[in-house]
Amino acid sequence: MKTRWEFVLLPSFVIIGILIVASQYVFLNGSFYKDMGLGRIGDSATMVNYIRFFTDSFYLNTLWITIKTSALASIFTLILGFPVAYLIARMRSHWSMLLLAGIVVATFVTIVIKVFGLIILFSADGLINQVLMGIGIVDRPYTIIGNQTGVVVGLMHFTLGFGVLLLYSVIQTIPRSLEEAAQIHGASRWRMHMRVLLPLSLPGVTVGALMIFNMSMGAFTSAALLGGGRVFTLPVLIQRTVMMEVKYSMAGTLAAVLLVTVLLINLLAIFLIRRLRAARLVIA
Amino acid sequence: MAIDKSKQTLSHSSMDMVTRLAARRPVGPPPKRGLPWGKYFHYFFCSLSYIFLLSPMIVVIGASLHGGEYYTAIKFPPDEPSLQWYWKIPKGQLEALGLSFGLAGLTALGACIIGIPAALGIVRGKIPGKTLISAVFRAPLQIPAIVTGIAFLQLYYLFGDATGLYFQGTFLGLYIGHLFVATPYVVGTVTAILQRFDTRLEEASFSLGASKLSTFRRVTLPVIMPGVYAGALYAFMVSFGDVPISIFLTAPGFVTYPIELFYGMENDFDPSILASASLVIFFCLLVLLGMQKLVGLDTLLRSGSR
Repeated sequence: MKTRWEFVLLPSFVIIGILIVASQYVFLNGSFYKDMGLGRIGDSATMVNYIRFFTDSFYLNTLWITIKTSALASIFTLILGFPVAYLIARMRSHWSMLLLAGIVVATFVTIVIKVFGLIILFSADGLINQVLMGIGIVDRPYTIIGNQTGVVVGLMHFTLGFGVLLLYSVIQTIPRSLEEAAQIHGASRWRMHMRVLLPLSLPGVTVGALMIFNMSMGAFTSAALLGGGRVFTLPVLIQRTVMMEVKYSMAGTLAAVLLVTVLLINLLAIFLIRRLRAARLVIA
Repeated sequence: MAIDKSKQTLSHSSMDMVTRLAARRPVGPPPKRGLPWGKYFHYFFCSLSYIFLLSPMIVVIGASLHGGEYYTAIKFPPDEPSLQWYWKIPKGQLEALGLSFGLAGLTALGACIIGIPAALGIVRGKIPGKTLISAVFRAPLQIPAIVTGIAFLQLYYLFGDATGLYFQGTFLGLYIGHLFVATPYVVGTVTAILQRFDTRLEEASFSLGASKLSTFRRVTLPVIMPGVYAGALYAFMVSFGDVPISIFLTAPGFVTYPIELFYGMENDFDPSILASASLVIFFCLLVLLGMQKLVGLDTLLRSGSR
């Protein structure tokens, strides 16, 4: 009795396939027309939006800020996340479940609520400024609203929980016995990390880092609320172009640039990993 | 083939035994002199990460307990403990919460209906280009969320111009957008479980005379159920917390909770937001506890790691 599973797949494939192709085609196609104001667009295809993007320093700067903040957020997420993931993955007691629960809740609570908490924490008379001014480190209230630091911190709150979960599953695939073997043979903790854990986890970590980077590139909420109308990343600019300027074609162009940038960076990263693997710099 | 497999499991379990026995004897790493500073530093660093990660939520819950007047009501740590804001959550926020719950629940359900057959087909179908097909199902996660939002908005405009049926600002329009980003999670978690599935279970069921349908219902489904729960949970939470897609597809008077919050923060802080946000945090905790009882957190994560 054989079930033809490929037919089971078909309806889902058609639904998702149509949604992908239709939605992507519409805005990509729209990006080649000129905005005539009030949401109307011109009737002949032109590159005018793309030319504007790549000649206007404001747009180019926005693209650069988007890439920069996303990259910084990804790096810091890895630095903060890896030790935690390692701790939970290697814990033998039931406390690991509690620690894990903390991470999962932080992942599931919507980023708007977390940003809300951050704003309260960093407000002029908030806890952090009270402490900082109390011990005299700063004499003016320090703020993260409206600057790039804030955007990076916001992005990290968006990605950190997810990043820890990703890294946790990567570390779980590395047998504990390998680390024990290294230590029995007299390797120090540091040496064990550098020579055993790091090379073994590197492929998984790179994939995870790429996913975190992708998430950050598309993240709208933290950048919009913590950027405070002063720091623009591409997602924020896309929303403003649609909602305030009602320029659908220009927004389509911005979205297309964002999409292609993300794809290119991913392809580049995969290519680099392949090269490193071929050169035996990365195992597995 | 079957013998090979059993051998593998045998050697695996004997390996397990060896490690367990080895763990019982005090072999381990040789004891070091002095304090394990590396370990302490590791713990210290991890607690910093946790403080960073959890502080905003603790601040929101803490500040929601502060009484006081409307304009001075956002304060952490609170100095006049009171629950007043919990009684003053306005109707708009409650309606938004209701919409979000309904939408997220239906999204989880729809994602399962689309995602489970997809996962079955990907793992078991004999089709060329499987990598490509699973890439298509994963694609919605690769597309930046904000791009998905604007893409669906423009799709609805175009569709509306052509047919007269406008989807933007309707429940159905919002639902399709959420379904689009939520489905890959179910496909991912169920695929992960199916790849470890022992097909001999099904063969046994067939040889005992069960029909295809009852085999699926009584054998296959219970095995993949943890993956379904995990995927459904991810789908629910993705929909429940989404901003970048909903912001384009909602309309005034028809907003999900995160969008209501988003506009609330852009304009003027209403302290009752703190109360409803705290309720949402508690709800997430509750869901987590339920999930831990139902399938266990580690199952949830092992199947959801993609």
